[in-house]
Amino acid sequence: MNTDNCITLENVAIGYSGKVLIKDINFSLKVGEFVVLFGPNGSGKTTLFKTILRIIPPIQGAIRYGDGHLTRFGYVPQRQYLDEIYPFTVEEVVLMGTFGQAKPFCPTPKTNRVWIEQCLKDVGMLDLRKKLFSELSGGQKQRILIARALATRPNVLLLDEPITGIDIIAQKKIIELISELHKKRQLTIMMVTHEVHHIPSWVNKIIHIHHYKVVLGSLEEIISLSRIDEIPS
Amino acid sequence: MEQLLEIINPHFLLRNAFYAGLIVGIVCPQVGIFFVLRRMILLGIALPQVSNAGIAFAFLLHTIGWHFFPHMESEKTMALTGSVIFALIAIFTLAILERKQKGFTENRIGFTYVLAGAASILFVSWNPYGQTEVLSMIRGEIISIPDFYLWSMLAIYGTIFICLVGFHRNFVLVSYDTDMAITLGKRVILWDILLYLIIGIVISFGVMTVGPLVIFGFLLIPPIAARMVVRGILPFCIVSSVIGTAASFIGFYISYRFDLPTGPTDIAILSIILVFLYLGKILIRLKR
Repeated sequence: MNTDNCITLENVAIGYSGKVLIKDINFSLKVGEFVVLFGPNGSGKTTLFKTILRIIPPIQGAIRYGDGHLTRFGYVPQRQYLDEIYPFTVEEVVLMGTFGQAKPFCPTPKTNRVWIEQCLKDVGMLDLRKKLFSELSGGQKQRILIARALATRPNVLLLDEPITGIDIIAQKKIIELISELHKKRQLTIMMVTHEVHHIPSWVNKIIHIHHYKVVLGSLEEIISLSRIDEIPS
Repeated sequence: MEQLLEIINPHFLLRNAFYAGLIVGIVCPQVGIFFVLRRMILLGIALPQVSNAGIAFAFLLHTIGWHFFPHMESEKTMALTGSVIFALIAIFTLAILERKQKGFTENRIGFTYVLAGAASILFVSWNPYGQTEVLSMIRGEIISIPDFYLWSMLAIYGTIFICLVGFHRNFVLVSYDTDMAITLGKRVILWDILLYLIIGIVISFGVMTVGPLVIFGFLLIPPIAARMVVRGILPFCIVSSVIGTAASFIGFYISYRFDLPTGPTDIAILSIILVFLYLGKILIRLKR
């Protein structure tokens, strides 16, 4: 495995409208790592995640990307934030992943259509490509959003709560899929979750947001910290 | 049949009104799809009303002697300028407040609608002359459309239509998933500004041509009807414009044939299409 850093946060402070939520954030993601960003609801995970994705600017500090390599993100949002009023087919949702390179006034090139078929095949959803996205189950939608992220040809895949709100069997399958993509495509992966039992035991690193502080640790350490929080004071 | 042939004859006396209606029928639903998809339907009621207030205000200025344009069409040009300026100020103010999340969206739009409605009436009543002409323009009586106005409309609506088609992917992406658009390097604010600009111009011109009620109908009913029967965003856009054009054509024919006001007839046709599509959808579901 390459040991180069693909994302480095140095003394970063994050928050909204100038109000600091978490400060002194220092960590790095190495190329090919599988990292979990863990913390309870409202702890600032999504803010940190969106800051890494350049959606929200950091209030302080610097985030370095790539160390000379090109960093291309594949972003998997929380599916409940996507409005079902849009009459998108599965194919059209995945095609969005190619819009970064799409030229205005030009029809979708055939190569892009072939590519999105490959992405759909990789997540096992090719048969559903003509279905409406809004008609799918939670687990199926999640797979389609992963396919959309893959369509951007990323080297870093960031997933926001990918297995929240879906049944246990679908959760297991999604984790297997992410793990398979990690190995097969050599992707650096960062997954956000607020539940300890969603964290696979084999992850390389866990970034835990604990009382508005970022702590790096192993799964055992994170579990013990979470248990301490559960003890009534 | 005779009347139908008369309407499509290039020397037809009211041809400009007929062509203007068709242009509105094709282009307005393309803008309206963003009202429906972004859940801004209430804005579709408020903005034409604001545009209306702009027209009434421009007429008031014109009557009290503020002539910016000395040529023959000065009244219409001033009315259009007032309509565009008012609509753009309103849409950008509402967009900024939306982005800053100040208060509730419905409250802001409701307030805008009431204020604009009251302002329109006051501007018209303060106007000592030409009340009839102002009211006729506000009602969207589209019978007398000069060639110059039709050509300007074709140029502006044509440009907007080309923009909407050419930048369709960007408009859809920033509307559907802003965060994804940012990660793909899209300048979301610029695309939003362009879309709001398009909305403002389409509504201003449309209100001058067919009136606020009719423009609201053409913005919203075709996309709502199309959404019930299509699968996919591309068919959604195409079917919306087909419904708008068909309603405009049939509406004009019926209004000419039975001597009815064109705008309300268009809306009645749009509503009939909507109901038929809804019933058709239910029937198909029952058969399955």
